[in-house]
Amino acid sequence: MENWRDNKLVAAILIVPASAWILIFFTLPLVIVWVFSFGERGPQGQTFLAFTLDNYARALELIHLGILWKSIWTAAITTLICFILGFPLALGVAFAPARYKNLLLLLVILPFWTNLLIRTYAWIAVLRTRGFLNFGLEWVHGKLDALFSLVKLPDVMGTFQPLALLYNHSAVIIGLVYVALPFLVLPIYATLEKLDRSLMEASLDLGAGQWRTMAFVTIPLAFPGILSGLMLVFILSLGTYLTPVLLGGTDSMMIGNLIAQEFGPARDWPFGSALSFLLLYITFIILWIRAVVARRSKGVSY
Amino acid sequence: MKKARPTPLEYTRKRWFQLVMLFNFIFLYFPIVALVAFSFNNSRRNITWNGFTFKYYVKAFHNESLFDAFLNSLIVAGISTVVSTILGAMLGLALYRFKFPAKNAFDGWIHLPIIIPEICMGVAMLAFFSRLNITLGLFTITVSHIAFSLPFVAVVVRARMAGFDHSLEEAARDLGANQWQTFKDVTLPYMMPGVVAGALLALTLSLDDFVITFFTSGPGSTTLPIKIFSMVRFSVTPEVNAASTVLIVITLILSVGTMVIQARGGKDKGLPI
Amino acid sequence: MEKLMGRPLTRRSFIKGATTLGVGMTFMPGIVWGAEEKQLNVYNWDTYIGENTIAEFTKKTGIKVQYDLFANNEEMFAKLKEGNPGFDLIFPSDYMVETMVALNMLVPLDHGKIPNIKNIDPDPNFSNPAYSPGMQHAVPYMWGTVGIGYRKSKFKTPPTSWKVVLDSDAYKGKIALLADQRTTIGIALKYLGYKLNSTNPKEIDAARDLLIKQKPNIKSFAEDNGQDLLLSGECDVVMEWNGDIVQVMEEDDDIGYVVPNEGGVVWMDNMCIPVGAPHPGNAHAFINHILDAKTGADIANFIHYASPNAAARKYVLPADLKNPAIYPAASAITASEVIIDVGDNARLYDEAWVAVKAS
Repeated sequence: MENWRDNKLVAAILIVPASAWILIFFTLPLVIVWVFSFGERGPQGQTFLAFTLDNYARALELIHLGILWKSIWTAAITTLICFILGFPLALGVAFAPARYKNLLLLLVILPFWTNLLIRTYAWIAVLRTRGFLNFGLEWVHGKLDALFSLVKLPDVMGTFQPLALLYNHSAVIIGLVYVALPFLVLPIYATLEKLDRSLMEASLDLGAGQWRTMAFVTIPLAFPGILSGLMLVFILSLGTYLTPVLLGGTDSMMIGNLIAQEFGPARDWPFGSALSFLLLYITFIILWIRAVVARRSKGVSY
Repeated sequence: MKKARPTPLEYTRKRWFQLVMLFNFIFLYFPIVALVAFSFNNSRRNITWNGFTFKYYVKAFHNESLFDAFLNSLIVAGISTVVSTILGAMLGLALYRFKFPAKNAFDGWIHLPIIIPEICMGVAMLAFFSRLNITLGLFTITVSHIAFSLPFVAVVVRARMAGFDHSLEEAARDLGANQWQTFKDVTLPYMMPGVVAGALLALTLSLDDFVITFFTSGPGSTTLPIKIFSMVRFSVTPEVNAASTVLIVITLILSVGTMVIQARGGKDKGLPI
Repeated sequence: MEKLMGRPLTRRSFIKGATTLGVGMTFMPGIVWGAEEKQLNVYNWDTYIGENTIAEFTKKTGIKVQYDLFANNEEMFAKLKEGNPGFDLIFPSDYMVETMVALNMLVPLDHGKIPNIKNIDPDPNFSNPAYSPGMQHAVPYMWGTVGIGYRKSKFKTPPTSWKVVLDSDAYKGKIALLADQRTTIGIALKYLGYKLNSTNPKEIDAARDLLIKQKPNIKSFAEDNGQDLLLSGECDVVMEWNGDIVQVMEEDDDIGYVVPNEGGVVWMDNMCIPVGAPHPGNAHAFINHILDAKTGADIANFIHYASPNAAARKYVLPADLKNPAIYPAASAITASEVIIDVGDNARLYDEAWVAVKAS
């Protein structure tokens, strides 16, 4: 790696435009929201600048921490399910024969390229009482019923009761997993793709089984990608806002919805800002933990 | 001739693994199939199947406001993709190439737009532009899209460059090429697949965004996600599904096209993310 | 592209796109160039205007209309709060008008430029609404109620009280309430015998506790899609805006709508000109166009909402006039109330709502 001092002009040309853009059109706006978080709501929902920590104190009230806690464990479960589903997917794509690789990768990313709202809405059509999944189950039920009556066992199955799959927290988690899956698959795929296969082959040759090789060679080698993927999914799910609104039941309010409510119907921007920064601080803490973990495991660059 | 047994690392040839993959793909495509199926449903609402029709495609095609929204989305996504790709690629190259003080902190800061919750950024952008008396419209949407797409491009390009053999540049320099020529003839061609992949990512991020776009849009700048959101709020007509299906097909064609171009570009396999 | 969109990408539409971008790129908002350019920027709810209303206006006046959409009052308010991004005409509801007037966000209307304002029903509810006395800042556009939409075959007699959705497990798991905090808490307040706009913390707490108690029986706090839940059979009884239920009544005879005896919410959407509107003259002309008897009736007949335009009523479909879901009985209106801005007390509602959603 070159030292920037050896080639100042090129370094400046490459770094300055993008940094300036992020500084002006991202960091400065964020500072405004940060200033808001110390302000006060006017009677009609104006934002009065002030210096008060009331909004943060309010954000730390038990009920809001409860919502935050719910968001955290929802994000954690989502991350776990994403990993269980996504790791084999990434493995499958990375180890597929070269000619199928591009196609598989495209198929994994394609749903991610359709509008989030439309995707989430499609889940409603799948999960609702008279949705595709229940239709499918009803059909299976009917066939089994016919089969049983054929062998003179009438009415073992009873009448079909559609499952209540929508408007509860499980539906939110299904939706979140669906939204976040590609963010986990891609980083893991990237590390697996570049992996030195001879290490795994050596492990197998030396008599380690398939699973031991996976646990002690493949996963540690792919660790940076796995870590990045898990963090991305967790961060995205933590701040989610659309999925609980569309798929959630009466108790699915997450921190993202609370923030949206404060910026929207409650017209309390200072409190909404304080909540946002609370979320941001938490994300920073998670990232910091990740950096520490990453530094401890060897050969990892952020 | 009997097929050889799969070697241990050929996961994709193992039956159980194929089943796992199959389940995953069903999960990924179940809602997409539902969405496409209902676009042919002869009912104003997506509740029951009333027979096959193309009429919602015709309706969607003749829906002028839907078309205008689509055009706006294309304008925003087009400009955002070009600018964020150029800036992001430069940044990615710099992060690969240079050591400089406080690089870790800089790195973290550059990644903030990926990390920040969308709604927080949306409100921040609205407050920022209003305070500066900048008219909300396609310009402000585009500027914001560039801000959150740029880091993604940088990440992709940097990852691509990680495998670059630096001695090639040195060889070119030894042969008398100047810095620009070396970049143009040696570095850029190697970087290109990463740039294309990053651009693709930026394009899709921009086309997909609703929250930040909503907060930064003004008169005459309704984009497709905003339009679809307002349609969905009122009642989900198959028109929305038809429009989405068309978009899926367009995306598919675009992606396959890019893949073909990338494959022609050389040995690169898939997106080097 | 041409084939796909079934409509050629003409040079005009391209230039239109390009100029919108140019307009967006201008850094100075609302520059007035002496005479107004032939342009009008309308910000309205989706599917909330007649099929040809805009085309007729453009034909008559040569003014081009740019039509943008918002999905609720709060979105619209958020967009205008930090400064008008260039809208000439907006369609806020009653309480939002009050808020915006208090914040000096609306321009007083010049009634001289709106001769058709005489068509507004002289009933003081319309011609002299509390949120905008004398229609100084707002002219009523459409009005309606919040009531109960229900599946007739699941009810022996039509529901007459909010009890069925707020305080009963007879339809356990088949009930949807609105995700709108002021409406849902307000109706709970009315069911308990209090005022819709109560600012008494004890009363609001009682309404909150009622909702929390009812939560196990509720399927969803519907984000403006209760009518879909009703039609799909997901729910049998929903709290909804009348217009949404009217839509599904057209498709399913088994769906009915009532405003319960306790009364519900009466809402009124209005036409207002926000401060900083670049084309206020054109906005007045558009308001006048909408208030035309024929135009008003065309809109009402297309979107099936009740019009406050008395002159338009003779052109409104007789079936709509007889439909209690559109024009409710006088007794139902008397019992109902309009939501008003409660100022700092909004926090009481917000906290009650978070408690309901989080418990």
